[in-house]
Amino acid sequence: MEQLIATAGLGKRYGKTDRVKDLDLAVPEGAVYGFLGPNGAGKSTTLKMILGLVRPTAGTIDVFGRRMCSRNRLSILKDVGSLIESPSYYGHLTGEENLRVIQTLRSVPRQEVDRVLKIVRLEKQKDKKAEHYSLGMKQRLGLACALLGNPRLLILDEPTNGLDPAGIQEMRELICSLPKQYGMTVVVSSHLLSEMEQIATFVGIIREGELVFQDSMKALYEKSSISIAVRTMNNALAAELLHGLGLAVRRDEDYLLLPELSDEQVARCADELQKNRVGLVRIEERRKSLEDIFLELTGKAVSL
Amino acid sequence: MKALALEFYKTRGRKVWLVVFALIAVQLLWMLWSLRSMREQKLDTGWMYFLYEFPALNTLMMPVIAAVVASRLCDTEHQGRTLKLLKTVMPAGRLFGAKFLCGSIYMAAAAVFQVAMMLLGGSLKGFRGAVPVQKYLLYLLFTVSVSLTLLLFQQVLSLLAENQMIPLAVGLIGAFAGVFLMFLPKQLSYLLPWGYYMVLEGVSLEWNKAAGVVRYHYVPENWFGLAVLAAVFLVIYLTGRFLFIKKEV
Repeated sequence: MEQLIATAGLGKRYGKTDRVKDLDLAVPEGAVYGFLGPNGAGKSTTLKMILGLVRPTAGTIDVFGRRMCSRNRLSILKDVGSLIESPSYYGHLTGEENLRVIQTLRSVPRQEVDRVLKIVRLEKQKDKKAEHYSLGMKQRLGLACALLGNPRLLILDEPTNGLDPAGIQEMRELICSLPKQYGMTVVVSSHLLSEMEQIATFVGIIREGELVFQDSMKALYEKSSISIAVRTMNNALAAELLHGLGLAVRRDEDYLLLPELSDEQVARCADELQKNRVGLVRIEERRKSLEDIFLELTGKAVSL
Repeated sequence: MKALALEFYKTRGRKVWLVVFALIAVQLLWMLWSLRSMREQKLDTGWMYFLYEFPALNTLMMPVIAAVVASRLCDTEHQGRTLKLLKTVMPAGRLFGAKFLCGSIYMAAAAVFQVAMMLLGGSLKGFRGAVPVQKYLLYLLFTVSVSLTLLLFQQVLSLLAENQMIPLAVGLIGAFAGVFLMFLPKQLSYLLPWGYYMVLEGVSLEWNKAAGVVRYHYVPENWFGLAVLAAVFLVIYLTGRFLFIKKEV
């Protein structure tokens, strides 16, 4: 799969502190890439660097296979729509007029404005001044701006920030529909794992400026698989016996961890242990939730 | 061109023209007041009188107008946090240029209205002698040159500072500094951009204390002063544009 965004050793240093450090981001084409991390982890800075709004102090950025520099930046960005942090809008202009400004600057056909208004369902409020919009409507206007010209790549930074549950749901559905309907690749950042769970196909998790996980959502789920924890009076012998049954055994403090097993397999293990007089004291099913993994990876409590 | 047209599109409903008209209205009131109290024999030197008085009036008022116009044009970008969007769809340098051109049109219009008002007022009052067209054209040129330099300076401040109180305060302080410089030796006016309405003044006053006679006379055009101003303009433009492009949003 082609990488639409590939960064190598990307870094941003403010004074003596590294806001972003040695970041190797890889966003495959057609993905909804969830860029996760706690507040202040460096998500916005990274996305701004990709858009050329902030200059990196280290590393390189390739977008659509082209090395980004100040000279080709705008020609690359012609095919990139973005919504960074809060939406950008002229409060004294109507929704439609706001879009008109960006449509003109992007040199895309006038009909595009109506098309994106329809996608974000703002066509009925297009004649209202943007300053009178609710936060959710402003956010949708920002998304409409980003969608002008049907870009190949969409970069959305915390698009659900400040929205009510209904607004979040709506934004989520919109984002999900984009790759399928318009063939876009979407990078969407969030500090909420639960949000990404339902929309992302790929995830990158950033912690204090460093990437701590990057893979498909499936791979992240695999980390959350079920395991069977066994505690005995003699763990060393038990491990040997269970290994003899062909099971992969890991030690975890006072417990032995086995992969997910069927009830019959568990019963067989218990039998085997009993036969050899290894006192079995606990058998538990353990499930690491995505939240646990996120917590483990980021070292911070998950924001709710 | 497209960028300039968009700047005007964005000023819709921002009432920037109101600022220009407010300036003209105040200056008109001042002119009516000074014409009313004008004595018969002063009609001979009326055209010169205007060219002597208006630069001082501009020193006091134009810096404020420039600050307000620049702020109206730039503040809208800060308020709506639009720079981070605009900088991804157009070169920052072009935005800087388009904004300046847009503001320039307002400032140039203010100067043109002012000259038109002077000519109309003088004619209606019955100033004697033909209108010194060349002198008034030069006055227009010098006024626009100083106004645009001040506008440029204000635009740089307004774009770089999110809090618009800073550029507005600078404009106000500049206006006072300009007025203050009038009471000091003329050479000192070269030091601040706000002093240039007086530096480029085309008429000077001779006051014979003993005879109690006031005489106006034209002074040679101060091309050197204009050249210094142009150099200042260039430095502000290039530095301001560079800082704006470099600014991370």
